[in-house]
Formats: sequence, structure tokens, C-alpha cells
Amino acid sequence: MSDFLLEMKNISKSFSGVKALDGIHLQVRPGECVGLCGENGAGKSTLMKVLSAVYPHGTWEGKIFWEGRELKATSIRETEKAGIAIIHQELMMVPHLSVAENIFLGNEISTHGFLDYDAMNARAQELLAKLNVHDINPALPVLNYSGGKQQLIEIAKALNKNAKLLILDEPTSALTSSEIRTLLDLIKRFKAEGTACVYISHKLDEVAEIADTVTVIRDGTHIGTQPMEELTTASIVTMMVGREMKNLYPKEDHAIGEVILEARNITCWDVTNPDRKVVDNVSLTIRKGEILGIAGLVGAGRTELVSTLFGAYPTAHQGTIHLDGREMSIRTPRDAVRAGICMVPEDRKKSGILPIIGVGHNMTVSVLSRFARFGLIDEHEELAQIQTEILRLKIKTADPMLPIASLSGGNQQKAVLSKMMLPEPRVLILDEPTRGVDVGAKYEIYKLIFALAKTGVAVLMVSSELPEVLGISDRVLVIGEGQLRGDFVNDNLTQEQVLAAAIGHAAQVA
Amino acid sequence: MTGIVLRKFLSENKIVALLIVVALIWALFGYLTYNTDTGVSGFLTARNFSNLLRQMAITGMLAAAMVFVIVAGEIDLSVGSLLGLLGGIAAILDVVYGWPLAGTIAFVLLAGAALGLMNGWLTSYLGIPSFIVTLGGQLAFRGAVLGLTGGITIAPVSPGLKYLGQGYLPGWLGNGCAILLFAVLLFMAIRTRRKRLQHNLKVPTPAMEAAKLFGTGLLILGFVLVLNSYQGIPVPVLLLLFVLAVFTVIAKGTVFGRYIYAAGSNSEATRLSGVNVNLVKMSVFGLMGLMAALAGLTTTARLAAGTPSAGFGGELDAIASCFIGGTSMRGGVGSVIGALVGALIMASLDNGMSMMGVDTFWQQIIKGIILVIAVYLDIISSGVKRL
Repeated sequence: MSDFLLEMKNISKSFSGVKALDGIHLQVRPGECVGLCGENGAGKSTLMKVLSAVYPHGTWEGKIFWEGRELKATSIRETEKAGIAIIHQELMMVPHLSVAENIFLGNEISTHGFLDYDAMNARAQELLAKLNVHDINPALPVLNYSGGKQQLIEIAKALNKNAKLLILDEPTSALTSSEIRTLLDLIKRFKAEGTACVYISHKLDEVAEIADTVTVIRDGTHIGTQPMEELTTASIVTMMVGREMKNLYPKEDHAIGEVILEARNITCWDVTNPDRKVVDNVSLTIRKGEILGIAGLVGAGRTELVSTLFGAYPTAHQGTIHLDGREMSIRTPRDAVRAGICMVPEDRKKSGILPIIGVGHNMTVSVLSRFARFGLIDEHEELAQIQTEILRLKIKTADPMLPIASLSGGNQQKAVLSKMMLPEPRVLILDEPTRGVDVGAKYEIYKLIFALAKTGVAVLMVSSELPEVLGISDRVLVIGEGQLRGDFVNDNLTQEQVLAAAIGHAAQVA
Repeated sequence: MTGIVLRKFLSENKIVALLIVVALIWALFGYLTYNTDTGVSGFLTARNFSNLLRQMAITGMLAAAMVFVIVAGEIDLSVGSLLGLLGGIAAILDVVYGWPLAGTIAFVLLAGAALGLMNGWLTSYLGIPSFIVTLGGQLAFRGAVLGLTGGITIAPVSPGLKYLGQGYLPGWLGNGCAILLFAVLLFMAIRTRRKRLQHNLKVPTPAMEAAKLFGTGLLILGFVLVLNSYQGIPVPVLLLLFVLAVFTVIAKGTVFGRYIYAAGSNSEATRLSGVNVNLVKMSVFGLMGLMAALAGLTTTARLAAGTPSAGFGGELDAIASCFIGGTSMRGGVGSVIGALVGALIMASLDNGMSMMGVDTFWQQIIKGIILVIAVYLDIISSGVKRL
């Protein structure tokens, strides 16, 4: 049995009486990649926190064997020393410190108490070279590098600690396709060199590509562990949700009417680099009841484009917006909401939710004056509306007054959607509406989108998940490097066609 | 198990926990100031209670508005100086120019609101951090009052103005107010309960509800009886109670109040929801200025004179009261009643220690320590502490 690098046996963990994990097994052989799958809130992160001793030994039940010996770690330092390294979903970098300083944070190389920068920079360079990364300067602050590069720096940090097991928690949620490619290739190389990894991801294609074994957990219980050869992404989904997901996209017919919104010659300049155009002369139209997908690589300027339509772009921009053929002046989100344009922003935590405010009050914040007379809120009326919405969107919450931050990602997203649907917009912009949302909630969000389109709302959806764009949209716009690269009617459109347009001449230049 | 239940109850009803602290402090001072000859405890007399409340009234007025400022994620360091400036202006208008009382009050309130709005405009529209804006204000306003008064005390103020700070309500009027207040509370409790039931929301058991109302009623009754047994409800205390009522309604029941808490919880998300966050924050500073004006008028009235040093350090007392009362430094959380009980705790410490003849330096040291302990207790009881 000791041919396992890691064996977690019968792990159970409770939080004030509620079982978050109930008898989970996880085994990893040296050089093996294990895919860990489960819906949001299934207990994946909790399991990894048990493994890395964020929850110290003794606060959970079960046994962990590491290289054949029982591991009773009580701090992250101990597990790191043993060779377990976690790379979290949200990168833990100190942006103003240099790449080398970040890599050696907590493990600084020093002589007589003074930092030895030369040694650290040289060693950082060496580590990055091992990852085949040659365009990162270890002496520059981390904030100069994109999310993908930062991910690589995190991995270099883990390598520096001689990690034998890498745990990657949703590593690709903020990466571009090419960065994802680099990362997946790197993991394959690690496997060949004998470094094991646990890969946690909602993106099952990635799991299918690199995992040797897949473990699925649901509601804190162990559903199954099987070699990847015996599985398909569809069968993993079935295991995750506990029912068969025949159709991921509940497409419904909806009538498309006349043009409702027209944006002409939108140009935006970069916040930090005022000479660079992030959106370059883009024009678009959208019709009543139409679902318009906006595809493109991360950083192509999609978010900036839709923020401008919503009056939320912070710095210099120009262009005109016409609603029903009339030119509108939309300078703030408030103007937009009043004109009938609403937006669900990309980053839910940063700009979507009011974390410590109740779920219900989160939903009504845009339409409060509707319930008010002389500024006084009629709580009775407000509550009635909140309860209707909670039932309609199937938001799972024990009490509408619970802080929204205590809900799962999917339910938070539904509440944010509700907030932006209550003003009864005529144009609804959704920026990455299903990011960090589990399969079940995704399906419900898609159903909502179709229901809205049926009532004549024009839906503008930005998404980095191509299957989603193709599964939902009537028409797809492709943005690349701030420019409009394609306008396709979604009729037998393929991912390859969209991707080719997105990469466009970027590929030719490279 | 009872320990856990108790802790849960206290973390959900912070105000009860705070009132227990008040009771403990009073019991301690009651014991320490007990005079075996007369059989009376100096601290626990109606006269001292009346004094104590009058002392806390001014800090309380500032704290009530400071809660909104801190909840909105900002800070106002200028209110002590602003209080001094506005109190000085009130004294000059009243003593030197002989303005009618109504004119003086109206002018000072307007000036306070205007200066507060200016702080708010600099903070929210020009984007200068409120810490800096109001630190500047602290220096500038104090300078202005020194310049206006020429550094001397301006006295004596008119009897009308004096009544605002030193007067008492006749007993019958005090009783009337108490009965009215209880009637309103009773009406609201019944209405809330009916509505919650209508929406199938959880309601406390009728016994719990009755007990709560009975407790509140007892508190009001005791409050009025004790004060009436001395000279009646002091006017500044009545003003403070009025402020408490208005601010609580703003916090819990108005669109504006909801926006304050929303902006403090996540300013960016609130803006993207179509709320004019800049206007909300500016108005909060305006309200703060208005309360500084009220506190300034009360201070001048209480001293029967305008002094250039009035309100010195007042902003720190107000801020400390908010934090003791459970307002979160990170914004989004805090209650007006909590801040006022915080102010009561501070005033009780001041009053009790002065009565015992504790040196001023010791008083300051002890108050500082209490502030830190109070916030620490709040942190551990709400379970937000991370390792």
C-alpha cells in the first residue's frame, strides 16, 4: 500500500455541528495527477485545507499518510516542509514586492540578517528557467505581470520549497487560453519528472486532458474515484450533480425584434497607460430579445467595452450610444440604470455583492425608491418583492436577512442577477455570468437568460467559456486586441471559428 | 452548552451586552463611592445620574452622526474643532450682536451643515481621503475660532440659549414624553410582528416579545422617575433622545440610510447598482456638520459662554464611543444606539473616576485601556478574528 505518495483515509470535518466532509478518501501516487471535481460547496477546498494543515491535526477525523508515514501536521509550515504546496484560486502575491521577493517570502536568503538580493534574484531566475519562462525579470514588482505569469511565479515559489505534491485550486479561472496551454504543458512535464499534483477545476476538459485519476465529491461525501480512461466529461458531470445532465444549455425559442441599442465608434484608453487603446473603434447593435455573445481572450477589451455601455468605465473613452434610435448621454451607472441598461459585473466579490448586507437588501438596492414614500422604505412591500424573487430564482438561503457573503457562489450570483433584473432593464449586460458558479446554478442562470430574452430584453453576454457562448447566443461578436474581429450568426458556428477570429492576426504577429 | 447559547444571544443582541457593561461599571462605582456614615452611594444618586446624562449628551450628539460617517467607510477628525467654531459663532451672535435665539440657532445649524458638506465634497467629489480633509479641518476650524473670539471667553449668553444647555423639562411633560414613546414602541412592535407573520418570517415567541417590551418599558419608566425625582429631564438629554430616534429611523427605515450601509459594505458594487455614492457620502458629512452645530450650541449654552477651547478632543470621544458601541472600522456595520451606549460608558468612567478623585492622567490611561479591551471583546465575540 505504501506505493502512494499521499493517502487520505476517511477524512471527516464538521463546522459547528454541520458535516462539511464525511468520510473522504484521496490517494495520490508519485508522478500522478489526480483531478478533484465537485460542485461549489462540495467540500473540495475544505479537503485541501485539511491536507495543508490550515485546519491543524486534531480538528478533523481520519488519517493522512504521507510517504507511508502518518502525517500529523499542525501548521502550513510543516506540510510545506514535507513537500506539499498549495496554489490557491486567488493568487497570494504581494503586488508591490518584486518577483524574487515574492518567491522567497517567508524563506528569504540572508547573510547575517541582511537580505541577499543577488542570490535571491539568481535563484529565482534559475527556478523560472526550469519552468521554461524567460521573459520575467525577478527584480521587477509582481504587478507588472499578468495573471498567467503570476501563476507561474506561484509555481516557482512552490518549486523552491521542493514540493513533491502540487495542489492547484482552480488555477485557470483567470487565465487566457494560451496561458492555460502553458500551464497544462508544464503540469505534464512535472508528471514526467515525478512531481504529483491534485488538480481542482470546474473546467472538465482540462481535467480530462491531464488527470490520470478523478475523484468526485458531492455534499462532502465521496462519490467515486476512477481512472480517467474509464470516464468522460459527461460522466464526471453526472457524478458531480448526481443526476444526468442531458442538455447543459436549455435553449428556448425567442422572437428577435427591432434594433434597441446601438453603440458607435467606442474607443477606450487604458487606465494605467493612457496612450494605449484597450477598445479601438468598436461599433455594435443589439436587437430586442436577442442574446448577443461577446467572445475573446482575457484582456481583449471586452469588459472595458461593456463597462463603457454601462457608464462605468473610469477613464478616457469616447463614442456614442443610441437607445431606440435616440442618442443617450450615459456617464454614470445611475444614468444607465435609469435609461434601462443594467450590468452584472465580472468580479462578483469586488463589484457585485455588498458582502455584509442581507441577501434581500442586496437584491433591492437598485430599486429602493420604488418601495419608499418620502424616503421612508415600506419594508412590508420590499419584503414581499424579495420573497417573490427568492422563489423565482430558487436562491437557497435560510433567511433573506442573512449576509450575502455566507451564501455559495451560485446563490450570490443569482442574487446579483436579481438586483439587476428588478429595474426591468431593456438591455441587460452580463459579464462572465457563470464564473465560479457550479453546474446546477449555471443551468438555472441560462434558463433565466432565455426567459428574459423571451420577454424582449436584449442580453449582452461576455464569456470566456466558448461552449457557453455557443450554447446560448443568437449572434457572437469576437473582440481581439480591442478591435471587432468577427460578427457571426450562431448557426453551426464552431469553437475553432471563434477562436481563430479571436487570435486573428495576433497569431500572425507572434 | 448554556455558555454557547449565552454567547450567541449576546453577539446577536450586542446592545444587551453593552448595557450589562454599563450596569457593571455603575455597580463598581456605586460600591466604591459608598459612604458608610450616610448610607448613600455618591455615584448612584438621581442628581449624579442627571449630571452624567448631561455630560454624555454632547459626545452622544457627535457619536450619533459619527456612526454614519464610519459606517460609510470614512472618518471625521474635524468635529471637535467644528463644534468649537460653531459654539463660538453662536456665542458671538448671541452676546455681541444680540440676535434672537431662533436666528442664532438657524444660522449655526446651517453653517454646520454647510461646513460638513464642504468636507464631504472634498472627500467624495475631489477624492481627497477623509482622514486628510478632516485633519486639515481640525486645524483650520480651531484656528478660525481663535481668530473670531480673539482667544477670549465670550459671556454671558442670553437666558433662552442658556435653557438649551442647563434647563430641565417639567415633570408632567417628562411623563408625557415617556408615555408617548412607549406607545410608539408598542405600536411598532405589533406592526412589525404582524408583517413578519404575514410573510412567514420567523418571529420571537409572544412571551419573548412581551418580555422585551416590558423590559424596555421598565427602563423608560425608571429613567423618567429617577430624573423627575431630581429636577426633571435635562433639555440636552431630551435633544439627544430626539437625535437618537431620528438617526435610528434614518439608519433602519430610509433609502438614504440603506445606501450608507451599502456604500460602506462595498462602495464599488453600490455605485454599479446605480446609486449616487458620492452624493450619499457628501450628505453623511453634511449630517455630521449639523450634529456638530447642535453640539456646539449645547456646549455654549451649558457653559453659558463661548470659549475658544470648547470641544477640544471631542472627535476622539465620539469615535471611541462608536467603536465601543460595536461600529466596525471597515465600514458597513454599526448602530446609533450602540454608539450612544458607548458614549454612556465613557461618560460613566469620567464621572465615576472624577467623583473618586482619581488623577486626570489616570483617567486618561484607564479610558484608553477600556477602549482597546472593548473593541477586542467585540472582535472575539463576533468571531471575526483570524489566526
